[in-house]
Amino acid sequence: MNDSDLDDLFAVAKRHKTAVSSDLMARVMADADLHMPRPVVPKRVVAPRVGVWSAIVTAIGGAGALAGLSTATLAGVWIGFAQPTAISAVTDVLWTDEAVYETVDVLPAFDDFLTEG
Amino acid sequence: MPFDNASDVPDDALLVLYANGDSMAARELAARHLPRTVGYAARMLGGDRAEAEDVAQEAMLRLWRIAPEWRQGEAKVATWLYRVVTNLCTDRLRSVRRRRAVGLEDAPEVADGAKSAEAELVDHDRMTALNEALDTLPDRQRQAVVLRHIEGFSNPEIAEVMDIGVEAVESLTARGKRALAAALAGRRAELGYEEGS
Repeated sequence: MNDSDLDDLFAVAKRHKTAVSSDLMARVMADADLHMPRPVVPKRVVAPRVGVWSAIVTAIGGAGALAGLSTATLAGVWIGFAQPTAISAVTDVLWTDEAVYETVDVLPAFDDFLTEG
Repeated sequence: MPFDNASDVPDDALLVLYANGDSMAARELAARHLPRTVGYAARMLGGDRAEAEDVAQEAMLRLWRIAPEWRQGEAKVATWLYRVVTNLCTDRLRSVRRRRAVGLEDAPEVADGAKSAEAELVDHDRMTALNEALDTLPDRQRQAVVLRHIEGFSNPEIAEVMDIGVEAVESLTARGKRALAAALAGRRAELGYEEGS
């Protein structure tokens, strides 16, 4: 058998297309449907409900800030209502009457030298 | 349908469409490649039609799976499919060396236009003889000869499918063709080839 005969045989084989059974096509398409990448649908994220108090606490900076603010408020109220006292109550403590003031004569008087005798 | 004429759309574009959820693109790809992959697998598997269909289905399944990662322009879908089919057939032939006497003639074939009954008969005999002769070749030679002379791939494409060099492809096809000629030498007259033609 020569090349020409073989080429003819190959040409016959090329002409004969294999038919695909409907069953095979159905199986292949079932696979295709099964493995088809699904488009990603963005999920709607439901934001958690925020209460009025938690919104206020968040707005002023959290629990720590709330504690500081409360303390400052109470201190302000106390300062406002407390009976005012003289400032001497403080100064008396610092500078008591018993304090001794000594004077030192660092330059003795010339009187002794001026006395004749 | 996102494309007007599917036959104009390249394979890799169809694959991208499929990866984006277009089942019509998958149908078009299957219609284009399934007949050839089944025919090729059947020739590789000694005419075992059922086995060939399983191989073709598995190859298409792998195509669907790889679709989201397919990089356009890097490989041709047809070459990739034939490579998968070749590997699957090689694995099956290695594990089970079965050569059942189920010829390709058992496979339904589409007649090529209107031909005379006599011509059909001659073609049928020639196909049977060719398949029997192909079956006598070593696996690699058979793959190379079928890919080159029946499936119409170029040598570089066959090299890619078979994962070998182009020179090795040339050697395999040349030796395969010689062996085929030798196997069919005694049947020349029977197949209707006149002496001296």
